[in-house]
Amino acid sequence: MARIFPDDLGAIKQARLEKQGGFIRVGMSTCGIAAGAGRVYRVLEEEIKKRGSAIELRKCGCLGMCHAEPLVEVAVPGMPAVIYCRVDEDCAREIFRRHIEKHKILQDFVIEMQSEDAQ
Amino acid sequence: MNEKTVLLMDSSAEGDAATKDFHDLFTNALRESDLAAQINLVRVRDIGIYNHGMVLKILPDGITYAGVEAADIRRIIGVTLKHGNRIQDLEYKPRARQLRLVLKNCGRIDPESIDDYIAADGYQALRKAVLENTPEQVIAEIKASGLRGRGGGGFPTGLKWDMTREVESVEKYVICNADEGDPGAYMDRSVLEGNPHSVIEGMLLAGYAVGATQGYFYIRAEYPLAIERVQRAIDQALDYGLVGDNILGTGFSLPLDIRLGAGAFVCGEETALIASIEGKRGTPSPRPPYPSVKGLWGSSTVINNVETLANVAPIILKGGAWFAQFGTEKSKGTKVFAVTGKVKNSGLVEVPMGTTLRDIVYEISGGIGGGGRLKAVQTGGPSGGVIPEKFLDTGVDYDNLQKLGSIMGSGGMIVMDENDCMVDIAKFYLKFCVDESCGKCSPCRIGGWQLLHILEDISEGRGRLEDLDRLQRIAKAMQKASLCGLGQTAGNPVLSTLKYFEDEFREHIVNHRCPAGKCTALLDFVIVKNKCKKCGLCARNCPEKAITGDREHGYAIDKSRCINCGMCFEACKFGAVERN
Repeated sequence: MARIFPDDLGAIKQARLEKQGGFIRVGMSTCGIAAGAGRVYRVLEEEIKKRGSAIELRKCGCLGMCHAEPLVEVAVPGMPAVIYCRVDEDCAREIFRRHIEKHKILQDFVIEMQSEDAQ
Repeated sequence: MNEKTVLLMDSSAEGDAATKDFHDLFTNALRESDLAAQINLVRVRDIGIYNHGMVLKILPDGITYAGVEAADIRRIIGVTLKHGNRIQDLEYKPRARQLRLVLKNCGRIDPESIDDYIAADGYQALRKAVLENTPEQVIAEIKASGLRGRGGGGFPTGLKWDMTREVESVEKYVICNADEGDPGAYMDRSVLEGNPHSVIEGMLLAGYAVGATQGYFYIRAEYPLAIERVQRAIDQALDYGLVGDNILGTGFSLPLDIRLGAGAFVCGEETALIASIEGKRGTPSPRPPYPSVKGLWGSSTVINNVETLANVAPIILKGGAWFAQFGTEKSKGTKVFAVTGKVKNSGLVEVPMGTTLRDIVYEISGGIGGGGRLKAVQTGGPSGGVIPEKFLDTGVDYDNLQKLGSIMGSGGMIVMDENDCMVDIAKFYLKFCVDESCGKCSPCRIGGWQLLHILEDISEGRGRLEDLDRLQRIAKAMQKASLCGLGQTAGNPVLSTLKYFEDEFREHIVNHRCPAGKCTALLDFVIVKNKCKKCGLCARNCPEKAITGDREHGYAIDKSRCINCGMCFEACKFGAVERN
């Protein structure tokens, strides 16, 4: 990658935001990995390949709800983004089949965080 | 598409039965209306609100209702779901909630992608500072924000930078202290793993402000993932020209490197940390001279904690006054706590300074798990102390916690219930400090060992009442005479447990009894004949083979061989092993 200059920051931001479509985000900090996020990530990777899905699979850090790891956030365009907790391999496949392909949020797996960002 | 999603959960009940019933009721009511096809009802595992009855969250409107009764269902469907209006009397008004400033992008951006960080307005503060501000202006902004060091001491960051800036030095260093070692604390690890660029940006700003020529991350080797991600982040920033020479083409340069800690707790102390980076043995040295005057390799050095640095970029971007609106009069901003122990939801919590301990434990972390009663909250790690239940309504900030005999520390918060013995807790922290003492000064080396020895005596039934006085005298002598923070504060857990739980110490000494049932030497295990089902599980689990008998005649504990380990007590499924 080439060196960037002050004005490039805006362009990089723009390019990244335009790329943003639907995504699956897996919490891959120490707490998540210890709870099995690595296996969940691999399952999701396989499912995407197998089904030729266009959804973007991403890694992220710790949201703070370490008691409920592995956490998987799913954002499908047109649906509210939700976070699934204590996701195992079976649940990850289920998320793919039901949430991503049929647009149905899974019962009994969603976790909500009560927080606001400092504006 | 006019679809809505309704998340629902009974926040009071332990099981999911109540949630399921309510879900069914709601589904039926929806079928009777003409909305069934447009509403998705989702039962939630954890709605983040506790003990407020049935909680509903309606998306995408973002309306939250609490204490909802079955009778309210038709109202909610008619008013909110059909017409999008809020029902005032059902709306949930949180007593306290998390405010995310440091953790804002943690868990939302990919820590391995610099573009992700830039897309979240990353490096904009750096751009602003190097193009529009002088270093003095950056320092003035940090001073105006009231930011204080998040590593434990709470020293005003702006002042520290100012002092470092004023020192004339050919070489000047900025160090990020990521040697997080308090038991139960992992805030810094999460920030480094979840958003490493925010700390790098903070370091660049610190370096720009003080006129540094080189920056070091001092990360403990026990954090391999954090090290990997920080290294990757540095490499990416280097590629973009955001770290290293001629940053953003402005002529400002700051190379960054990582140095690893080898597992010594004392290396979190700044003078010991500097010695460790220099390749010497990690022992502290007397201050003054402070590192700002004579630090790494004899040059002026500024050392800041990970969380402190993660606060810097938002302050520069949005202004010191913006930051100062959060928190209390003397402690501004937010604090990340690692809430662990007997709490229902352990994890990281970021709250504005001044939030009460009760709100952190009960409103945000879901209260005490397993139905126990809260006894105390420990803050500040081995340098801190315990805060008993009666002070739970204290707002957490640097000064309030100090008044209670504890400290803010780096942000570990361990919640304890009735099954935690205060003598045992004091012993645990002292053991930690004795293990970690570098041995350079005698008050810490000898005092700590003596304190531990007395506590061991008390917990094993050999304590005497004079010991209570002796504990205080030694702990206070260590406070006055030790060389560094480790020794000066090592007695704090003893002093604070004694202050609030002296009765418990006396119970151990006078009656040889441990009320919490933790000090195994004071316990007596017996197998109650009429409860015993003669399964033999206790005998199989006994490591000393002290349980004799057979499946026909039942079992008994041979007192002469029993080591009071409690394995039989844990193993018995029928409650037939009693602990006295």
